[in-house]
Amino acid sequence: MDIRMAGITKTFKPDIVALEDVYLNIDRGEFVYLVGATGSGKTTLLRLITREIVPSRGQIVVAKRNLRKLRSSHLPYYRRDLGVVFQDFKLLPHLTVYENVAFVLEAMGIPSRIVRERSEQVIDEVGLWRMRKNYPLQLSGGEQQRVAIARAMVNSPAIFLADEPTGNLDFHTSESIMKLLLSINAAGTTVIVATHDQYLVDAYRQRVVELHEGRIRRDEERGRYFVDGEL
Amino acid sequence: MASFNYALRDTFRLIFRHWGLSILTLVTAVSLFFLLGSSALFSLNVKNIVADVENDLVITVFMRAGEDVAPLLSTLEDAEFIDDIKAISPEEGLSILKSKLGDQAKAVSLLGENPLPWSVQIMVKRADYATPLVRDLMSFPSVEEVVYAGQLAEKLSRASYIMNRVSLAVLALAIIITALVLYNTVKIAIYSKRREISVMLLVGATKSFIAFPFVLQGMFLSTIGAVLSVALLAIAYPVIGNMIHNTLMFINVLDDRDLLFRLYLILVGTGMTLGWLCSWFAVHCYIVSAGSPD
Repeated sequence: MDIRMAGITKTFKPDIVALEDVYLNIDRGEFVYLVGATGSGKTTLLRLITREIVPSRGQIVVAKRNLRKLRSSHLPYYRRDLGVVFQDFKLLPHLTVYENVAFVLEAMGIPSRIVRERSEQVIDEVGLWRMRKNYPLQLSGGEQQRVAIARAMVNSPAIFLADEPTGNLDFHTSESIMKLLLSINAAGTTVIVATHDQYLVDAYRQRVVELHEGRIRRDEERGRYFVDGEL
Repeated sequence: MASFNYALRDTFRLIFRHWGLSILTLVTAVSLFFLLGSSALFSLNVKNIVADVENDLVITVFMRAGEDVAPLLSTLEDAEFIDDIKAISPEEGLSILKSKLGDQAKAVSLLGENPLPWSVQIMVKRADYATPLVRDLMSFPSVEEVVYAGQLAEKLSRASYIMNRVSLAVLALAIIITALVLYNTVKIAIYSKRREISVMLLVGATKSFIAFPFVLQGMFLSTIGAVLSVALLAIAYPVIGNMIHNTLMFINVLDDRDLLFRLYLILVGTGMTLGWLCSWFAVHCYIVSAGSPD
């Protein structure tokens, strides 16, 4: 099992309950959609997995690591097993497309030749070869999203997290990004996507976990965005 | 190797991104190390002059006007501790003075009549014989004044001691100011990159990997400051030394190339160390010790 959450509650000061008593198990190689209204707790759940935040109560084990007990000196090494695509991309503005992608490998201390080969390969895979020397501000939203995906997949992570990867993107760009995520999953990577995109969830049916006011309302294999009859 | 390449690239990115601040830091560092080097050169020269004066074993005895030097010469001629003794007539004394003054010798002719009395130059075998001899010479009724370089050396030593203390205090202050400027430069660079730093942490970079370019930035600015100040000193010192020597010919300006090279090396080493310490401290405060997850 890749991710195991048991009785997770997360409260923010003063007394905002973002997640409450969440039990969730995700196996290796699964593709999971996290759906739910804004403020339902999707992003909080992803931030718990990246250990940007720690739960107020409950246990969270990711890739056999208990995140409550994870020492801060081990955190970078844990995060190297994750690939994360953030809602706002979080690209490094003073680095080019190539440098943004290569940064992850450079930070891991990988030899220059391998950094170059692997980064160029991934940039090519996401279709940004022509733009590898551009800076993020010179790219469209969809292109920036692709850079974020390339950066998240360059170190071949075991778990891939994407927060609203198709938000604010046009239909064709969204679809091409979805295909990229599916190809990452096909290679054996666990993929968790927090999304509001009803079309994609319904078109590419996978496991759906629906959050509502911080609780899991529905956990369904090959589910749809909405439960039948609900809209 | 890729990590080091990244660190180097990022260091120069940081320097050029805040170029105004980098120039300010560089100017401050150059000023400090120039002050530090100048002060060290001044102290070394004073020490050199004091040593020269101390090693001067000549005692000059000025006779009272109209007094004969012969009785004094006959008293001293057989003394074992005297290496050489020589009577100097007023005319001879004047020509020696003129040769010492060089270009300014014309000023002596303005005095009109030769004001110099008879004098006796005594060279002792060892410096420690000088003080008791000076005391004895002063007791001669025919002696007006005894001039011995040792007294001058003592006065110079006392003056240089005070000057050294004052310059140390000024230097300590200058070092603190430079350290603060360096610390602030690195702190501002860290602050301006705080969002990027949080992203770097999220994608698996260690704090030391993120911190390294900031430490290099501080070290680079400080070392370049020290190197530039050494270059300035290396150009200015011989020029100023020549000027001093031409004006005050009796002063031998220190020209020991080995010693100067070592001094310049120490300045550059101090620059590197100061830069490393300040940036390490800033990095430690704002990156390494930064908070853990909520």
